[in-house]
Amino acid sequence: MERLILDIAHLLVSWLTGRGMAPVWADLLLLLLQWGTVLAIVTLNVLILIWLERKVSGFIQERLGPNRLGPFGVFQTIADTLKLLTKEDIIPTQTDRWIFKTAPMFFIIVAVMLYAVIPMGQDMAIVDLSAGLLFFISVGALSTICILMAGWGSNNKWSLLGAMRSVAQMISYEIPLAFSLLGVVMITGTLNLGEIVKAQDKVWFFVLQPLAFLTYFIAATAELNRGPFDMPEAEQELTAGAYTEYTGMRWALFFLAEYTNLVAVSALMATVFFGGWQGPLLPSWIWIIIKTYLIMLVFMWLKWTFPRIRMDHLMSFSWKVLIPISLINIVITGIGIKFIQGMGW
Amino acid sequence: MFGKGLGKGLAITLKHALAMDITIQYPEEKPFLEDRYRGSLVYQYEKCIACGLCIKACPNRVLALETFVPEGSKRKQVARYTIDRQYCLFCNLCVEICPTATLYFSHDFELTQFRREDIKVVYLPPQPSPIVPAGIGGTEAPPEAAAAEPAPAPEEADKQPAPPPDTAEGAKRERQVEAMQAALTKNPQKILAKLVQDEEAIELLAAMLGKDTKLSSKLAELMIADRDKAQKLAAGLITKVRKASAAEEVKTDEPS
Amino acid sequence: MLQTDEYTINIGPQHPSTHGGLHAEALMDGEIVKDVAVHLGYVHRSVEKIAESRTYTQFIPYAARLDYLASNLPCLGYVQAVEKLLGVEVPERAEYIRVILGELSRIAAHMLFVGSLAIDLGATTGLVYCLRDRERIMNLFEMTSGQRLIAAYMRIGGVSADLPEGFITAVEGVISDLPKMVKEYDGLITGNEILQARCRGIGILKPELAVAYGVTGPNLRASGVPYDLRKADPYGIYSRFDFDLPLGSRGDCLDRLTVRLEEIEQSGRISAQAVKDIPEGEIMGKVPKVIKPAQGREVYHRIESAKGELGFYLLSDGSEKPARLHVRAPSFINLMVLPHISRGGKLQDIIANIATLDPVLGEADR
Repeated sequence: MERLILDIAHLLVSWLTGRGMAPVWADLLLLLLQWGTVLAIVTLNVLILIWLERKVSGFIQERLGPNRLGPFGVFQTIADTLKLLTKEDIIPTQTDRWIFKTAPMFFIIVAVMLYAVIPMGQDMAIVDLSAGLLFFISVGALSTICILMAGWGSNNKWSLLGAMRSVAQMISYEIPLAFSLLGVVMITGTLNLGEIVKAQDKVWFFVLQPLAFLTYFIAATAELNRGPFDMPEAEQELTAGAYTEYTGMRWALFFLAEYTNLVAVSALMATVFFGGWQGPLLPSWIWIIIKTYLIMLVFMWLKWTFPRIRMDHLMSFSWKVLIPISLINIVITGIGIKFIQGMGW
Repeated sequence: MFGKGLGKGLAITLKHALAMDITIQYPEEKPFLEDRYRGSLVYQYEKCIACGLCIKACPNRVLALETFVPEGSKRKQVARYTIDRQYCLFCNLCVEICPTATLYFSHDFELTQFRREDIKVVYLPPQPSPIVPAGIGGTEAPPEAAAAEPAPAPEEADKQPAPPPDTAEGAKRERQVEAMQAALTKNPQKILAKLVQDEEAIELLAAMLGKDTKLSSKLAELMIADRDKAQKLAAGLITKVRKASAAEEVKTDEPS
Repeated sequence: MLQTDEYTINIGPQHPSTHGGLHAEALMDGEIVKDVAVHLGYVHRSVEKIAESRTYTQFIPYAARLDYLASNLPCLGYVQAVEKLLGVEVPERAEYIRVILGELSRIAAHMLFVGSLAIDLGATTGLVYCLRDRERIMNLFEMTSGQRLIAAYMRIGGVSADLPEGFITAVEGVISDLPKMVKEYDGLITGNEILQARCRGIGILKPELAVAYGVTGPNLRASGVPYDLRKADPYGIYSRFDFDLPLGSRGDCLDRLTVRLEEIEQSGRISAQAVKDIPEGEIMGKVPKVIKPAQGREVYHRIESAKGELGFYLLSDGSEKPARLHVRAPSFINLMVLPHISRGGKLQDIIANIATLDPVLGEADR
């Protein structure tokens, strides 16, 4: 079980090279296949996630949530997707057409790119980058541009307000996000995510770096634009923020990308703070799925409990609380490492 | 300490997430309705004394009443009573003022209709079809409407003086009967399926009606006026035909 | 150097948190509000004109549609105004029933206020819990009148029907659960630090400004002015009940929230006393069959509705129908301070301000 997926991949490569294909091409084909698999899994996963989110919100609100289509309403999202697909694609006349049209596509591309470096099991990252963590943070920051494109291209005041909020928020929260991960990097001495997971075989970094975990958790919620930090959408104030003018499948792409981001960030959190794919008995790729889903449930729980933070509170919280905390964490970690080295452990 | 309120909120939502849901799954589960629940306004023809107090009490002109005085009588009779439900405020003023408790609010709250004309409910004297939703043309009362106002017993219907035949109502009814009879001769199976379930019986009855035009006209008239009676007649005819054919079979069997 | 400019943004009339057809036109500098103009009239149904073509009794269901969130209160105000015009005595039992239902309506309206504030600030779940509890009061209304939201239960001279069996026990059950409900709102909504940060010091309504604009009801009491018509000018039998006036000190959004939460408990107290003391007897006074007040008689009657001072001015021309009806709608007047309390705040504060001023547009537009 553990090596099932890896074995399939090796078999495929050896079969292809055995048929006379150059190893480079076989590897490239495998890479494309891996991407395709990830894309398919992510898209299907989003269908489940939306259903799960609606169920969780339903349970919290003493309702049942979707319960009509299929057992426990699992096919509800599929019906919704079909509805969105068949909707008219409305592009308002006053929009900046190209920017308006391409924004959702870029958003989903950026979201899917994040999966390149996440180890989905032992030795199961698509690309085992030595600077994987850096890649994740920098690509994750790109989604800001897509929201800005959507807000600017829509030529709508609400959209622009949402986009500007999003930019301000993302830029402020990138810093504590990166700083909080620095503590882990200092301990492991590597940016490779596989190495980071392996360094947690005795104790999870969640225990060693509680402050970093807390800052990362808050900053990640803000990065994801999820409640209570869902500034760009902010339904009650900005109607739908940056997505106000979008309908049908374009709007659904934003939705898809947001949930894709949610999975990616949760998977990274599991990787960096909760021992990634490590766990007893079950195969590694099941462990990371379990951990990712548990983290996502917590995200949903938060969203359906808290009111939205005000924009200026949000900014001051980042600059006045989170960044100092993450800096203090770096200092404490540095002192700790020096202390342990000095003690000769 | 900062975060205490947040934690408390999280605890509350978690507690509710683990508790049972409190919602009613509506189409399968019907909500509990109190006695006084005001669903839809219902009118009972036989109790009405045509005093018109409800018309005066209604704030939004939902109700309308047309009366006539039959020959040889001094009392007014209701020719047509209309409840235009789309304007009803459910204020209960008409029910409170009614001296004979003719009007009441039933617990039927599913008042949606596909067409706007169907919202209006018209009550006619029981002699013609008991209830004809305006706008349909009156060939058939929808089953819900018929159930809301059961047709009075035939004896009572006979006693009720019919409106003069030269009125628009009477002419309309005659046209309906004619149309029904034409349909019966043209495609008897389809019409008879409404009265009888058994396919074999339908065939028998259709053959019989084809021979006897008098019988078919009577059945058509009954179908317009009183569906139940028509059904009874059809059932009676079928048993008659079957007995006859059974007797014939016995006869044909004997020689062999 | 970038050139910056002010811009206007239209909050409503089609907007998720404008509580119906409210249109607030905001002049913005980035996220900062420079000015707000309130435009009304999107839910205008000319109720006052309708009254001139309806008899005195026929207007009752329309009165219920003024403040549809606490429908018994506007009905009560209108009915009492007509009684004043006619000089009709209302039996004791009817008066007690009116107090119980009026206070229950107030509780229901305040519960919806707490819930809608929660959802306007982004906490969706808060609304659902408030609606769940409000549903129990709606069930009580269904028991008495058969209508849940827009209950036309009051009649000139009394109420339309006596209390049904089991009503008193049901009311006692709801009242005894009120502290538990309020505790839950406190835990989820009021105690939440994010909500406190968004409400404390936001939309401060100074008592002088409130009085100058004629703001009444919980909004005025949140500014620290102890003015409640149930105490200042007791109507009906309110002078018999013992209750406190919750007062705020800062006049901000948080005060407007906590004052209403405390009012839920005070209304529960009044209902409990009324339920305890309710006598047996008639429910309808002696009212002439055809209501024709003397020509030229006029009356102004005001009650403390869930939103503030709700007044009915009636002028009779001797016929069955009033010559003129005017409604002093508290929501309309309370909304007028919105520009004053929103200036200098953030865009998100406008939403909090609208939610805490608690307008009901059916009443503001009439």
